[in-house]
Amino acid sequence: MFLKLSVPQFWRVKENQYKLVITVCSECGKKTIFKRPVCPHCGSGKVEYVESSGMGVLESFTKVYYKTNSSEDRLPELVGAVRLSEGVRLIGEIVGVREDELRENAKVEAVLRRYLSDDPYGVIYYGIKFKPVLTH
Amino acid sequence: MIDVRAHIVGGSVVKVDRHFELGYRDLAYKVARDCLECSDVDYVIVSSALPELSAHQVDLGTHIVQWIGRKVPVARVESGESSGLAAVELAASLVASGAYRRVMVIGAEKVTEYPTYIANYFYSLTLDYEYEVLRGVSPPVYAALAMKELIKSGVRRDCFSNWAIRMHENAISVPHAMLKFKITYESFKDAQVLSDPLTLYDSFAFGDGAAAIVVSSTPDRNGSSVELVLSKTEVGLPAYARDSISDFIASTKLLKEVSERFKLDLRKTAVELHDSYTTYPIAILRSLGYVDDRCDLTEFEFLNTSGGLKARGHPIGATGIYQAYEVFKVLTDGLGGKRALSEYGLVHSMSGPDNLSRVLVLKR
Repeated sequence: MFLKLSVPQFWRVKENQYKLVITVCSECGKKTIFKRPVCPHCGSGKVEYVESSGMGVLESFTKVYYKTNSSEDRLPELVGAVRLSEGVRLIGEIVGVREDELRENAKVEAVLRRYLSDDPYGVIYYGIKFKPVLTH
Repeated sequence: MIDVRAHIVGGSVVKVDRHFELGYRDLAYKVARDCLECSDVDYVIVSSALPELSAHQVDLGTHIVQWIGRKVPVARVESGESSGLAAVELAASLVASGAYRRVMVIGAEKVTEYPTYIANYFYSLTLDYEYEVLRGVSPPVYAALAMKELIKSGVRRDCFSNWAIRMHENAISVPHAMLKFKITYESFKDAQVLSDPLTLYDSFAFGDGAAAIVVSSTPDRNGSSVELVLSKTEVGLPAYARDSISDFIASTKLLKEVSERFKLDLRKTAVELHDSYTTYPIAILRSLGYVDDRCDLTEFEFLNTSGGLKARGHPIGATGIYQAYEVFKVLTDGLGGKRALSEYGLVHSMSGPDNLSRVLVLKR
């Protein structure tokens, strides 16, 4: 029943899906995740862009059992609030870790992972998720 | 902000429920038929959020007025979960401007056409699809992360349970409420987890529904009407871009402003607050200084008399019309055996976790 994700729709936003770009406002000085034309805090169009290193700290996370598709394969998903080293927060999926091993304040890094695919032989859409940084 | 001089003079609602036998147009027909004051209107506004997704229907407003046999102009309003109050604001503007005399506002929504996981997906689209939903963010995620923040700051988990228990108690005596049963603190221990620590009992109930109100340029001659004195909207920041996810700045700002302007004490005012998740009203009431970390709600006399989104149910794009109808009833004939004597009533609606907030102020 669902329409497949439009390839152009995803292609248009590829810069924000494949990279972590931060909008820095020249007026109010605030930083916000995603490359955007206007600062959401003050409305100024005087903005600059910097690319994040992809490193950050997991501020908080939740185990998600809320189903939005017919598959339960990926439940629970771990979704967390990540504070990037450049100071901005974004929400993303946490992968590559068992749920009982994940801890708040863990160092995490951005990785490119699959978001969804049209079907077993269709387009696969990739984007940024996070995984804990190995310390040993 | 719109200072309006318009009046709500009547309305009707259907029970929020799983109405498998009724579609959008059937639900709209029922409320238009059962609302006596709806017979004489010169404009119709239809409020709904999901018909393109859940019923494959574009231009729902036109199809509804054709179906219910009204040969008057129509427009449909969509603004996510706050569609209803956006529709009321438009109706009030049309009446206050003198363009139309009496506007019927119909909220209608179908959320049970598909299995719950698909309804969950539709509801998730109130967030930003490209920058939130694709990344695995759904509405319970924000409610859970905000709840964790509040718990870290000292709010007890039972605080959120207090809200849910109160809403279920309220809903028992409300004929059109969906979840008319009591819950206890024990209920939460075995509740299905949506996104920990958030459980099903912290969440609104998905239900189909329809509600209608009539917004008129003149009050009802029988005195069963309220004046619509203010409609105001505030756009917030995306939750991820706030200092704290539990900062409900738009809602808090609006409620503070209208409380000061009209000298409202929410503990004594007929108020319907948007409570899609228990986290949200607690965060807002705490920011306004009404509750502490224990969240004692006993002093609130007319707090979500309907049972709120939590227990009356949340037919997404129709919910705001339910809320407006309910405060109208509490201020006039009464709802669920409760009738407020306060001068003002207040309706609060949000879309997403304070992505956008709206308030209506009604005056007896």
